[in-house]
Amino acid sequence: MGKKIYWIIIFITLAVNVVALQWTIESFFGEEYEHVITYSIVSIVSSLICVLTFWRWRKQEYK
Amino acid sequence: MSKEQKGKRNQKETREDMVGLIHNLERDEDLKFNRRSFLKSAVGATVTLGVATLPFSVLALQDKEKDDNRKEIAKLADIPKDSAINFQYPTESEPAILVHTKDGELKAYNNKCTHLQCPVFYEKEESVLLCPCHRGFFSVDNGHPLAGPPQRELPLIDIQVENGVVYAVGRQIRHG
Repeated sequence: MGKKIYWIIIFITLAVNVVALQWTIESFFGEEYEHVITYSIVSIVSSLICVLTFWRWRKQEYK
Repeated sequence: MSKEQKGKRNQKETREDMVGLIHNLERDEDLKFNRRSFLKSAVGATVTLGVATLPFSVLALQDKEKDDNRKEIAKLADIPKDSAINFQYPTESEPAILVHTKDGELKAYNNKCTHLQCPVFYEKEESVLLCPCHRGFFSVDNGHPLAGPPQRELPLIDIQVENGVVYAVGRQIRHG
């Protein structure tokens, strides 16, 4: 996998998390608690993908 | 400055005459450094945003447990058509209005205006909910703003009628 794809994945996860956080807060104040948990899970999964991608990028970048 | 010192100018790793500052001007290294740190910052931001959603989930789980809230409002016979009564729901500090429309439908909303929290009243003549503070109008049918400064809908209170008694059984802050 080229290094560019790591960048793309990381920035997609960043965009996902920005949107997910906004939706989480909106749902929380809208008292839609099922949605809060859904968006929160999406956000955590996205963060994990980001960290894993970063580790792989780092491995390639510094080898 | 001695000749020897001058000779060290524009060379790396020299402290003479503040020449060491040229490190910062070497564009290739500069770009390389920033590219990496930029990506690391992006990763940090992503993780921070992800973790920031967790407190909301924890609070949501706590609130979900105490969500069941059924409350008697009034007897249906006490609310004639084309009239409204006030009550508090879901807590005593949250005022609400129950409207018995001309068509015989029951509609209930929290009656704090979504503009600046003034109380909202039922306007019989036009069959709308009116906030007199800044002349905000809401639809009785769905609680959405019709005119004036309010931008958001009034929270909708779910109603149940059992044996001639009207109950409030839930609330939707955002509704279509």
